[in-house]
Amino acid sequence: MYLQIPEPSRPISAKIVDIWRWTNTIGHSVTLLILGVLLYFDHHNNWVSWIDNVLYILIGLFIISAVYSIFIEPSILQKSWRYEISEEFVQLKHGRFNQYHTLIPMTKVEYVTTDQGPFLRKHELFNLKIGTTTSSHNIPALPKEEALMLRSQIARYAKVKDTDPEGEDVE
Amino acid sequence: MSSQPKRYHAAWLLFELVSFIKNAFFFILFLFILRADTYTGWILWAKVLFIIFAGWTILNIILKWFFQTYQIKNRTIILREGVYVKNQRVVPIERIQNHQTHTNFLHRMLKLTSLTLETGSSDSEASVTFSVITHEEARHILHLIEEKEVMESEAEEGKQKSGTTVYFRSTKKDTSKAALTSFSFLAIFPILAAVYFQLDDFFNLDKSTENIFHYFSEHLWLLFPLFILAMILSAGIGYIQTVIKYGNYTISADAERIYIRKGVGNTSTFSIQKNKVQAIKINQSLIKRLLNMVEVKMVSAGGTGDEKLETNALYPFMAKHDAYELINLLLPAYHIEESMKRLPQKVLYLKLLAPYYGTIAVGIGLFMFQREWLWITGVIFLLGILSRILDYFFTSYLRHGEFIQTRKGGFSNETFLTRRQRIEQIEIKHSWLQRKFNVASLQFSNRSKPVLISELDDLPKEDAAEFYTWYGSRT
Repeated sequence: MYLQIPEPSRPISAKIVDIWRWTNTIGHSVTLLILGVLLYFDHHNNWVSWIDNVLYILIGLFIISAVYSIFIEPSILQKSWRYEISEEFVQLKHGRFNQYHTLIPMTKVEYVTTDQGPFLRKHELFNLKIGTTTSSHNIPALPKEEALMLRSQIARYAKVKDTDPEGEDVE
Repeated sequence: MSSQPKRYHAAWLLFELVSFIKNAFFFILFLFILRADTYTGWILWAKVLFIIFAGWTILNIILKWFFQTYQIKNRTIILREGVYVKNQRVVPIERIQNHQTHTNFLHRMLKLTSLTLETGSSDSEASVTFSVITHEEARHILHLIEEKEVMESEAEEGKQKSGTTVYFRSTKKDTSKAALTSFSFLAIFPILAAVYFQLDDFFNLDKSTENIFHYFSEHLWLLFPLFILAMILSAGIGYIQTVIKYGNYTISADAERIYIRKGVGNTSTFSIQKNKVQAIKINQSLIKRLLNMVEVKMVSAGGTGDEKLETNALYPFMAKHDAYELINLLLPAYHIEESMKRLPQKVLYLKLLAPYYGTIAVGIGLFMFQREWLWITGVIFLLGILSRILDYFFTSYLRHGEFIQTRKGGFSNETFLTRRQRIEQIEIKHSWLQRKFNVASLQFSNRSKPVLISELDDLPKEDAAEFYTWYGSRT
């Protein structure tokens, strides 16, 4: 452990690895396809020479990024994701090379939502979004029961501030 | 307390019209004054189009005014507007945290003012603005807002609602200092140059003289009285400008609120609830640093986002010592420490070692498009190194008690102070390279508009961990 801090312990679903592989494959294929079409028009219509170079560089970069985000990143990201929800705090941690630790007090939570796209729906998974006044945070790929349970739990914990006006008048 | 829906003061129409004419000034000048006699070709078309557009705008202003109402009912402000699409906003009075008034020249002539009420939220509809309102009505609304605080404070074990105390009133000396510090008197130099060359034309001096120094030395006598005159004139103009903006600066406060009033001619007032102050920012430009002056700003959750008003600052030209004392008096919940912790020396090497993405991007771009300008990359690289060194030397931080205090900057610096309860969230990030140097980056955010995110890069990892546990150990 690099930092001497209490770390969150709960993992996200392992099924997300395949889902991320698929969505990243689709995203990168579409981008590469568009670049390919541009390259075709470039050769066909003899555009200015520098467009050529830019397109080749972009295609090169996208192939490298595709290899990384389809074959390497999903499993690393899934393995490194941890979250913890207590009565007082939401704690998130993710990333291997760049590691992120986030700490949000329950009193600052403004809303909590769950959502799912077609891929998540197929595996009965949900994203859990936690919003504060300054930003919103996403815990990806939680099994259905867990996501719904957490959603109502956070809503209950965050509601504490109703008795404590705005949760910020405490001096 | 309730009232019927009311339209805004009829002078609103006049204000909108004036602002329309101001915006269209150059079109009017060009089409109807400079080209007044031309009725052919595209000028004719432009004139016709402009008249149609102006008619449409004026009609819209009238319709907008007609359909726009406000109503105060059951301790909420209900705003209705929209000619084609109706829109209704309900703002509970309890939500209002700050209020500002601003009286410009036109307001003053018509004995009116403008009033802005700020709520705590950070979205685009966070504030309610009455751009034209009578003083009486403004007082009435403010009274409603403050009524709630009296009730609140009475609930707090009958805390006495003491009268307001004036803590600061700017003197003539302060204003002169402000005029000097803002360098407004230097604005004369471009004017001076212009005048000199005008004179040059007038006396029909020999244009063919190649040696400009020779040229100057011959007419130096002319320059001298002119220079004195110009300095006096410009100091005068600068002083008047400063008086208009910062004259009669008064800071007062009672148990709950801080009141700021400033300006001569264009008067602005600002009021903020003490316990809604999210953080304090202290800015020092290079010149203020030399004169040992500071500008103290109170960060609040609402904010109109209008930089022009900038009334959330305590007097921007206050001596450092006085300013700190004033903060302690006004906001006992905040305490500024002078000595702070610096980053360890190894961080300098880390900062210099981190990838130079900007330089690389510029380099590649120039290599592809403008190879003869490739040397610019070197300049960017040197600037990058310089800014990293400055960044290292001027970053400092401190965590004491309930506070976290950071300082950043190079030639000018900014100190930021906030309390644990005011921090919305924190994030610690460390990259592979940072781990090799045993450091991490800390980021924390405060409510404001726009959201205020403070970053502290490359802290020793023990300190970063300590911040994290400190924030996580709230009671």
